[in-house]
Amino acid sequence: MSNLANGWMQTATMAVVESVLLWSVVTIGLYYLVKRLNRRLPAWWSAPIFLTPVLLIFITLTFNTNYATYLRGTHWLIVLLGPATVAFAVPIHEQRHLILRHWPALVIGVLAGSSVAILSSWILASLLGLHGALRLSLLPRSVSTPFAMVVSGEIGGIPELTAIFVILTGVFGASIGETILYWLPLRSFMARGALFGMGAHAVGSAKALEINRDEGAIAGLVMIFAGIVNVLAAPVLAYILQKL
Amino acid sequence: MPNSNPVASIRRTLRHSRWLQVLALIAIWYLAEMLVHWLHVPISGGVAGLLLLLALFASGRFSPRNLRRGAMWFLAEMLLFFIPAVPAIINHREFLGWLGIKVLIVILAGTLIVMVTTALVVELYFRWFARQARPGPMDGAQS
Repeated sequence: MSNLANGWMQTATMAVVESVLLWSVVTIGLYYLVKRLNRRLPAWWSAPIFLTPVLLIFITLTFNTNYATYLRGTHWLIVLLGPATVAFAVPIHEQRHLILRHWPALVIGVLAGSSVAILSSWILASLLGLHGALRLSLLPRSVSTPFAMVVSGEIGGIPELTAIFVILTGVFGASIGETILYWLPLRSFMARGALFGMGAHAVGSAKALEINRDEGAIAGLVMIFAGIVNVLAAPVLAYILQKL
Repeated sequence: MPNSNPVASIRRTLRHSRWLQVLALIAIWYLAEMLVHWLHVPISGGVAGLLLLLALFASGRFSPRNLRRGAMWFLAEMLLFFIPAVPAIINHREFLGWLGIKVLIVILAGTLIVMVTTALVVELYFRWFARQARPGPMDGAQS
């Protein structure tokens, strides 16, 4: 009996180890391949944050793997977003003098950006006939996932849906950011950084870092500041939404 | 002898090894995660770790140079850590169709509006600030 249980335990552990190894190697391998392709063929469709998930969806569907199995194998990568957030301390520290000097610009940018994010989502969703929890889940889209999920839960949205919308926002925002910079001649690197950090949170910040370290530092700071402001404002927002 | 001080030698090793720095950042994040859990602070361990590290840098006791290579690696590869979250879309087949297109329009148009507004507000602040502070250097507004 104990032998049987032991054997079963071993098989289960083996299955977990296998799925972690398999899906991690597949994900990381594809990411680096796509990254290399993107360097040779720069285009929106070859961006690693777009093409890698598309290929992964294709592979998981082909091999009939459900997302829960895939996620069990690669969850540790998502966990590394925590230390990646900590890493922003280095570029932010390097920009501390400019940030301390021009902090009102960042405060105004975050307040304006957050209000516009929530208002525009509400108005657009209403115009397109989206209502209820789906519309509420769309509101906190512009801040990074952990903050957005807290806000979504507090205002009556579905945090899990919000998480997906947040990712889509980041993917889209990061890819149009450069086009916006082309049409909008922004002189200040703080404006260029704030655009990525406010509009596309961490995915945008990663993109901003690719453009320039200074823009990246501002984007990271704006992203974190926007997250905190939105979480603090969530009860007020919930109150306003109830009165509507 | 400069090599006799163990703290200095650890520091020197840390300063040269990107992977040690990556591990150090993970350790800082983990400690911060435990701290916010223990103190019931409603922020994520990542943000708490970032604030702690900024405080540590500001105190002057710990130089950012000790973590620079590791931090730059984390930031350069950050998109990789997002990728496993994206295929979650396959669990939501209800968005295949009109509903999905509507949601996508809200996200696309909304994000465009947010980005342009934020950038313009910050930019206008700087143009105003630059006019006020002239002939001082436009340090926040250099290209």
